[in-house]
Amino acid sequence: MSTNVADKKNPGKALPISKRSNRRMMFREIVKNRSLYIMLIPVILYFVLFQYKPMYGAIIAFKDFNPFVGVWDSKWVGFKHFEQFFESYYFWRILRNTILISLYQLIFAFPAAIILALLLNEVRSMVFKKVVQSISYLPHFISLVVVCGMIIDFLQPDGIINRMLLSVGLIEQPINFLIQSQWFRTIFVGSGIWQGVGWSSIIFLAALAGINPSLYEAAVVDGAGRWKQMWHITLPGLMPTIVILLIINIGNFMVVGFDKIILLYNPSTYETADVIGSFVFRRGIVEANYSFTAAVGLFNSVINFALLIIVNQIARKKAEASLW
Amino acid sequence: MKAKRSSKLFLIISLMFVMVITACSNNNGGNNAPAAPATNAPSNNTPANNNGTNAAAPEELTLPITEETTQLDMWLLGDPMFRGASYNEKPSFATMQERTNIEINWVMGSGANGPEAFNLLMASGQIPDMVLYTAMITEGPKYGQQGAFAPLTDYINQYAPNFKRILDENPDVRRLITSADGEIYHFPNLNLDEYLMVQMFPQIRQDWLEKLSLEEPKTTEDWYNVLKAFKEQDPNGNGQSDEIPFVSVNLQTMFKIFGPAFGTDWEFYLDNGQVKFGPIEPEYKEAIGYLNKLYSEQLIDPNYLVDTEFKFLTEKVTNDRAGAWIGWAGSYMRSFTDLMADHPSFEIVGTEPPAGPNGDQRFAFHAWPVTNLGIAISAQSDNIVEAVKWLDFQYSEEGIMLNNFGVEGVSYEVVDGYPTFNDAVFNNPDGLSATESLLAYTIGGGQWATVQDPRYAEQYDIEAAIEAKNKVSPFVDYDVSLPPFTFSTEQNDIITPILADIRTYRDEFANAMVMGNRPVDDFDSFVEQIKGMGIDRVLEVYQEAYDNYMSVE
Repeated sequence: MSTNVADKKNPGKALPISKRSNRRMMFREIVKNRSLYIMLIPVILYFVLFQYKPMYGAIIAFKDFNPFVGVWDSKWVGFKHFEQFFESYYFWRILRNTILISLYQLIFAFPAAIILALLLNEVRSMVFKKVVQSISYLPHFISLVVVCGMIIDFLQPDGIINRMLLSVGLIEQPINFLIQSQWFRTIFVGSGIWQGVGWSSIIFLAALAGINPSLYEAAVVDGAGRWKQMWHITLPGLMPTIVILLIINIGNFMVVGFDKIILLYNPSTYETADVIGSFVFRRGIVEANYSFTAAVGLFNSVINFALLIIVNQIARKKAEASLW
Repeated sequence: MKAKRSSKLFLIISLMFVMVITACSNNNGGNNAPAAPATNAPSNNTPANNNGTNAAAPEELTLPITEETTQLDMWLLGDPMFRGASYNEKPSFATMQERTNIEINWVMGSGANGPEAFNLLMASGQIPDMVLYTAMITEGPKYGQQGAFAPLTDYINQYAPNFKRILDENPDVRRLITSADGEIYHFPNLNLDEYLMVQMFPQIRQDWLEKLSLEEPKTTEDWYNVLKAFKEQDPNGNGQSDEIPFVSVNLQTMFKIFGPAFGTDWEFYLDNGQVKFGPIEPEYKEAIGYLNKLYSEQLIDPNYLVDTEFKFLTEKVTNDRAGAWIGWAGSYMRSFTDLMADHPSFEIVGTEPPAGPNGDQRFAFHAWPVTNLGIAISAQSDNIVEAVKWLDFQYSEEGIMLNNFGVEGVSYEVVDGYPTFNDAVFNNPDGLSATESLLAYTIGGGQWATVQDPRYAEQYDIEAAIEAKNKVSPFVDYDVSLPPFTFSTEQNDIITPILADIRTYRDEFANAMVMGNRPVDDFDSFVEQIKGMGIDRVLEVYQEAYDNYMSVE
């Protein structure tokens, strides 16, 4: 360990003369702000214990993991599990489904929260605004299992949605939504909006509150209507928040919540519903094939990481807002 | 200046990271190092090696097993129907503790997600002394060969006289629990009486049949006609065509009943000692075609893929909409009859498996003398001998009675030599069902490593169920059903990934053809695809494993 410290020290050693005073200054700095640093400790511990330490386990992707000989003593197998995944009959299908569902979420669900926030911002009646907000938050607090139970109930052939469509005359025969694969993505993304739109709009509402009111006053003086105000003041004011959230979302692009998928899918909708997450769940937890699923997970993380960096670069150049 | 300071800060923080990470990984190494030899030790150091006695008869089991009270941990999935706080409250286990001087600490997994809970336990690498699991017949040998469970053959020869006697008298049992490497890794739940072999069987509304003057269906053609009549002639008499003639919670269950009528099976079966995979044989197409005909005329529950839970089936039966289904004697036949006690005519009859167009008639939903459930002993345990002795007690006459019936005078009396449940169980003062109330007294012969006593089921089954079981049991054919044998680790490595994809594909395609989303005539491309995915290799391995299984003496 001492070598480690020495290695890390060396690059910072560039200015030997100022080293001592620098160090003393930093020490003083730490003492002065000690309560802040103490508060930081749990956060650091959390990341070390629950985010960094488990990374060590990712090496089982290159091994035939056997829990009874431990991670280190399991046999090395190189890229066997990656090859198995790429050669799997379902590789392209789960990749396509993952990308499509993520893309639809990005296209439909992400702007929905912004639009809701903008609409709420224009509402004059505080009572009405609070009521709408409360109602739109509510689904977020319902357990996912219950939400999926409700979705299944609503979409039954004799459920509320079919009855509504029938009474309006849009369809003549009830549609059995849950066993027709062409409906799955619509149901998944649509119900996702219902679940999350209120909650995700909070952060945009907070950003809206931070826009300087004098800007609006000036715009009104200049004769701008509400539409123009939104276009020239509100949206640019929101832009940094939107870009940051977009980057974060894209960093999770390859992660589709498999729990909701497995609660809603069945063999007749695998075609459009089976994503990397649900595939990993079936192979890893149900069939106890840990090395294989670790390989799939690692593959997923690498893509996410690459996407995150690319989007961040683009954002820094084009929108002048970025994560780092 | 400010920038400099923050870069220093960053350096310090990253140093902290490095330090903690190295500390953690050092810890890891420390934990792993002793664990590895510990798991290997017991397998190299079996009692036979210690004592040199191998073929000699085991010593008789003497009670108590230990002088000082020994504590053993037992992991199991909790039964949600049990109302007490600990299983040690059950008089059967309390008596066992007195007799054997071994105290069990129950470690309960969540019963809702059995396989997940079990797999996570195994992945943790920390296994309690004993593990009870519902699929031990396959998982025991699998994890045993990986070193998680103790190999028991030598222990059984030396310390388990009662269990060894059963193995010697029933070569089938020994064959079924011997893993591919020739070892035994678990104590199974046993089912040695023919009456208990029949499990799920087709059940139909007798009163509906009578109302429409129909005979009990015997062939696939009869079934079609009866279900058609249920659909069209309003047997529940509410003026609406809301009957669901045949309710199922999945395709597999239906296929297990109707498939054999066409000479096929849902997955693997035997044809003169040769292992075959149903979905690639032409008979499969006929069976799928038949089910497709039923589905397209709405004779099968159109929602069977969505309503996959037992509660949906119960709801359809108790709403007087379901005409026929496949189910157990107890949880279906008995409890539906109880639930519908107020209905003027509700009556269920069990039928024999349908005969197909070529006269094939076979019952595929049967048990084996060894059921899937069993108890394995951790290879890390310090008390393997005590655990073996304690488990052997479960197969002694006393243990069998305790597990099946509870304690004499508390939950049963012996009337003319026949253990008869008393009112505490069958007329429970708190109004509990027999299943629920019995759980307060014992764990039940079917849920434990012991021998199931048919005299329990005989008392529990209603008249109609006893009749049905006797009707169905002549159609059990052990030469066609594939016994639940197991594979070596290498064999598992070959077949697991291939079968995982094939099963997903089969589930999708078979359902699509039954539901008419894909024409049944696509069957040939379906077969080709499965062959392309490597079914031949799987069949080779299965054949190898089956031959190996048959060669066990």
